[in-house]
Amino acid sequence: MSSVTATRASEVGAPEHVADRSSRRNPRRRAAATVVHRAVVVLLMLYLTVPFAWMLVYSLYPGQNMRGQHMDFTPGDLTLGSYARLLSDSTFTVPIRNSLIVAAATTVLCMALGSLCAYVFARFRFRGQRVLLLSMMAVQAIPAIVLAVPLFVLLRAFGLYDSLVGMVLTYTAFILPLVIWMMVSFFESIPVNLEKAARVDGCTRLGIVRRVVLPLSGPGFAATAIFAFITAWSDFFLAKVLTSNSSPMLSVRTASFQGIFAMDYTAAATAGVITALPVLILALVAQKWIVQGITEGAVKG
Amino acid sequence: MAEIRLEGVSKKYSPKDSTYAVEHLTYTIPDGDFVSLLGPSGCGKSTTLNMIAGLESVTDGSIIVDGSAVEDLEPHKRDLAFVFQDYALYPHLSVADNIAFGLKMRRMPKAEIRRRVKDAAERLELEGLLRRKPKALSGGQRQRVALARAIARRPGVLLFDEPLSNLDALLRDRTRAELKMLHADIGSTSVYVTHDQEEAMSLSDRIAVMSKGRLEQYGTPSDIYLRPATEFVAGFVGKPRMNILDGDVVERGRVRLRGTRVVVDAGTNLGDRTHVRLGLRPAECSLSTVSEADADGTVVVAEPLGNATDILVRIGGDNFIVRAAGFSDLRPGDPVRIDAAGVAVHLFDAETGDRISE
Ligand SMILES: Nc1ncnc2c1ncn2[C@@H]1O[C@H](COP(=O)(O)OP(=O)(O)OP(=O)(O)O)[C@@H](O)[C@H]1O
Ligand SMILES: [Mg+2]
Repeated sequence: MSSVTATRASEVGAPEHVADRSSRRNPRRRAAATVVHRAVVVLLMLYLTVPFAWMLVYSLYPGQNMRGQHMDFTPGDLTLGSYARLLSDSTFTVPIRNSLIVAAATTVLCMALGSLCAYVFARFRFRGQRVLLLSMMAVQAIPAIVLAVPLFVLLRAFGLYDSLVGMVLTYTAFILPLVIWMMVSFFESIPVNLEKAARVDGCTRLGIVRRVVLPLSGPGFAATAIFAFITAWSDFFLAKVLTSNSSPMLSVRTASFQGIFAMDYTAAATAGVITALPVLILALVAQKWIVQGITEGAVKG
Repeated sequence: MAEIRLEGVSKKYSPKDSTYAVEHLTYTIPDGDFVSLLGPSGCGKSTTLNMIAGLESVTDGSIIVDGSAVEDLEPHKRDLAFVFQDYALYPHLSVADNIAFGLKMRRMPKAEIRRRVKDAAERLELEGLLRRKPKALSGGQRQRVALARAIARRPGVLLFDEPLSNLDALLRDRTRAELKMLHADIGSTSVYVTHDQEEAMSLSDRIAVMSKGRLEQYGTPSDIYLRPATEFVAGFVGKPRMNILDGDVVERGRVRLRGTRVVVDAGTNLGDRTHVRLGLRPAECSLSTVSEADADGTVVVAEPLGNATDILVRIGGDNFIVRAAGFSDLRPGDPVRIDAAGVAVHLFDAETGDRISE
C-alpha cells in the first residue's frame, strides 16, 4: 500500500516542481519529462496489480476456458460459479469462519493489551524500561520457523494444538510486541500537558487513555489494529504447523488446492481472491489512516 | 473560595538528586488574592504550581487549603483549574466541549453545563467560535478558550503557568488587562507563574520571588520594589535593572560607591561592616557633564526610548545605568558625574546578599 501511495504523492508534488523550473527554458522537455514519469507510474502499477488481476480473471471463467492452447475470454462466459461452489463447501467456509474468529480475537487482544502497555512505556519511567522494550523487539526478530517446533510442543502440552484458542495465543505473542512498539510512538507524540489538563478536569489514568489518548491516536490506533488483523489473517506458516483437521485455517485450506494429484486452478484462484479480499478492503478503507500512521511513526521513531 | 498555605514544601524529582528542585517554601496565599510566582528559568516556579495542583507529589512539607492538607489528594479533588502555557486544549473536541469537559467529568446536570459554557463563552467573547475545533483558532483565541475552560468550573483556585508567553507583545498587554478584570470579577484565589517581572508587578496582590528553588521574598509589589529583601530580588525586579555595586563605608552611616565620588546616606545601622553592596535605581539617579578630572565615569552608550533615555556609564570595571527623562545630548566618551542625592538607597550584606535594615 505504502509504495503505491508514495508514487502517487511524488506524482502530485515533486515533478511539477521540477517541471515548473525547466519549463521556462524548454517546454518540450517538460512534456517529455511528464510522459516518462507517467509511463513509469503506469508500469509500476501494472507490475504490482497484474498478478492479482490475473488471479481475478482466472477465478471468473469456467475451468475449460483457461485450459488448452487458446484461452477463451468471451465475456458471455464470465461466471461466479466457482465462488458459489466454494462458498457452499463447508470444508472451505469453516476455515473462513475460523480465520475470521482468530484474526478478530487476536486484534482485540493485541489492541487491548498493547495500548495499555504502550501507554505505560510512553508515560511512566521505571527500572528496566529500555531493556524490556528492546528485548521485546529482539524476540520479535526471531523467525517463526525457529520457534515452530517449540511452539508445537508447548501447545500440545497444554492441549491447545489444533485449536482456535491456541492460534489466538500464538498470534498475539507474535504480533503484540510490534503493536506495542507502534503505539508507543503514537502516544509519545501526544503533549503531556493535555493529560495534565485531563487529570485536573477529573479523569482517572484509565479515563485519560479512553477520553484523550485513544481519540487522539485514532489514526495510529486504526492503522495498528488493521496491521494486527492482516498479519494474523494472512499467516500461513504457523497455521500449517499448529493446526490440523479440527481447526483448519483459511490460508492453509487455500494453499491445499494446489493438490499433489490434481490442480484445480480455478478453485485455487477463487480461494486466493476470497482470502485476499478482506485484506484488500481493509487496506483500501483505511489507506489514509495507514499512511498517516506509518509516517507519524516514522517521524517519531 | 480558598486560602492556600505552604508549610516547608520541598521537592526532589529523584531520591538520588543531591539538591532540591524546590526547597522549604513557607508562605500563605490569602483567599481571593492574585499571587505571582516570579523567578528566572529553572528556579522551580512550575514545580511549585504543579505541587499545588497535585500534578507532582510533595517530597516534604504540607500544602493546606482552607485548613485541610491536600498533598495526598488527586488534582480533581482539589477544586482548582489550570491554565497551561501551551493551552492544552483537547484537539479532538470543539470549543464548547473543551469548556464543558471538566463539568461533564463532574457529572453536572446538562442544563447547568449549557448555562456555564454559555456564560464562560460570553465573558471571553467566544460565542461565535463554540463549534470550532482548536486547530481552527488563532493563538489569542485558543488562550481565551483555555481561560474559559478554567473559569467555567468556578474553582476555588485558579492556577496559571505562563499563560501569556505564547502571545505577541500587543496581545499580551491586552490579555493582561483582561486577566486582571477577570480576576476581580470571579474572585478565585489565583496563583500565576511568570518570569516577567512587569507582568507580576502589574497583576499581583502579592509576589513570591524565587531563585534556585528557594523563596527570596514574599510581599506586595510595592514591598518588593521599594524594599527588596535580597540582592537577587533587587536585581530581578525593576527595569532597567537596579545598579548593584560594591560600596565602602566611609564614615558612620555613609557609603561611597567604590571608584566614584558618590556618597550616600545609609539610613540604617551598618554595624561594623567596612564594605557593603550598594543598590541604586537607574531612574532615580542623574548625570551631569563635568571635566575629565572630576568625572565618576564615561558614557559608553545612550539608548533613546522615546519617553526616556538609558545611558550606560563605565565606572572602573563596572557598568552603571542611568535612565534620564526624554532625549539626552550625552555622547559616548563624555565624562560624567553621577548624582545620587536624595535617592532611595538599598544596602545588602556583601556575604549573604540580605538586605541590611534595622
Ligand atoms: N519532571 C522533571 N524531572 C526532573 N527534574 C525536573 C522535572 N521538572 C523540572 N525539573 C527540574 O526542577 C527544576 C525546576 O524546574 P521548573 O520547571 O519548576 O522551573 P521553572 O521555574 O518553571 O522554569 P521555567 O521558567 O523555565 O519554566 C529545574 O532544575 C528542572 O531541571
Ligand atoms: Mg515553568
